[in-house]
Amino acid sequence: MLKHLYDTDCVTWSPQGKLFQVEYAMEAVKQGSICLGLKSSDYVVLCSLKRQPSELAGYQEKQFKIDDHMAIAIAGLTADARVLCKYMRTECLEYKYTYESHHPVGRLVFKVAEKSQHKTQSGAKRPYGVGLLVAGIDPNGVHLFETCPSGNYYEYKCQAIGSRSQAARTYFESWFHLFEKSTLEQLVLHGLSAIKKAIMEDEELNEKNVEVGILGKNQKFLHLNAQELKDYITKLEAFNPNSQIQQE
Amino acid sequence: MIFNSELSGQQQHTTSPVVTGGSVIALVYKGGVVIGTDTLCSYGSMAAFKNVEKIAQVSKNTLYVSSGEFSDFQQVVKELAKIDRSALQYDDGVHPSPRDYGNFLARLSYKKRCKINPLYLQNVIAGFHNGERYLALVDIYGTYLESNFVTTGFASYFCKAIISNYWNENCTLDQAKQVIRECFKVLFCRDCRAHDMIQLGYVDEQGVHIEQAERVETKWDFNGFKTRANEKLHTQ
Repeated sequence: MLKHLYDTDCVTWSPQGKLFQVEYAMEAVKQGSICLGLKSSDYVVLCSLKRQPSELAGYQEKQFKIDDHMAIAIAGLTADARVLCKYMRTECLEYKYTYESHHPVGRLVFKVAEKSQHKTQSGAKRPYGVGLLVAGIDPNGVHLFETCPSGNYYEYKCQAIGSRSQAARTYFESWFHLFEKSTLEQLVLHGLSAIKKAIMEDEELNEKNVEVGILGKNQKFLHLNAQELKDYITKLEAFNPNSQIQQE
Repeated sequence: MIFNSELSGQQQHTTSPVVTGGSVIALVYKGGVVIGTDTLCSYGSMAAFKNVEKIAQVSKNTLYVSSGEFSDFQQVVKELAKIDRSALQYDDGVHPSPRDYGNFLARLSYKKRCKINPLYLQNVIAGFHNGERYLALVDIYGTYLESNFVTTGFASYFCKAIISNYWNENCTLDQAKQVIRECFKVLFCRDCRAHDMIQLGYVDEQGVHIEQAERVETKWDFNGFKTRANEKLHTQ
């Protein structure tokens, strides 16, 4: 993005009706490594590509459990993500303490969106530089939401955010009609296939740089362990979405 | 409210109730939950307000009744209605289940108890959600107990035997209502703060139904009363 006039702070509109600081914040999300989510009628799966700052460092985690029935995947400034993660966890705990039941997912995303919007309407604040994919299960069903630094939120059947996420979205556009009836295994394989489209030529998926989280109607949020990831990545070679169509 | 320059403005702690509601009896039956209460609010020993509707519908499938300080009851109804309205606020159509209300009330009562300024109430929440019947008692301290039958006040002393002998959790609605009517008959005879007008309400798959107030069956034309056998003047 080129530099613009009228972009000094959040409280200045541009003549075209844009808030450039908010748009710049959304750029920060696009710089983060890819994470995606997809859902069927019973499960939501989050897949992310983890970055390693250097050979000596560990991989940056991108998925965080908020409660048994909810988890997020982040793209953007990890520090900002930590703040939102803490907020969401606190809200879920308070809700559980008061009502002994799980925080409705849409409502919590709404709260996060409100919090984010606040930051876009003050001279002294900056927007959060992180986009979240929120996966959750509640009595209303299975949910996947995306939140934005702008304070908007959207519900999706499947979505990818972060660096080179367009490639993953293109994959989704071809195959998302199969997701509703997919089994959990098929869903994970679709997710990993989508990630594979988004990695650079010299990179490859392995159990260290990929993170997969699963949430289901009868399944509390669960990270796949290294062995399970290895197995799925092996199965990826033989995975052909076309065969799923023939099954139907 | 004490109109005394030293004490006005200081927060008072509820130490004793002023206008009180009577016993509440709630029973689970095969298709839902039925609650009975009388229609009296007493001002100490005076039967001050004789036609009070005390069964509150909190949401589509939840009923709330309590015995104790009536102004606290009214306040709690407002608090619970606030929660129900939150579905409107968040645009998500998610309504709290009866259990959510019960737990909220338990937390609220406990918080006030910790400040030594309790909601002077024995609360009963009844509901029907996802095919399951729900009935809970929340007492003045915030103790939360789910149960198949709940009694408050004097009903806890006089009516448990009747309930135990004539009710089971799979009886019909009419059987459960009869048991409640029998209980209130006994209460009217034995509880000084009871009244002979009662109101029943029940919650089932279709939702909440609150019935018209009815009079408890009483019989006064016993021969003993007519001839006043106990009141004959004794002569030496």
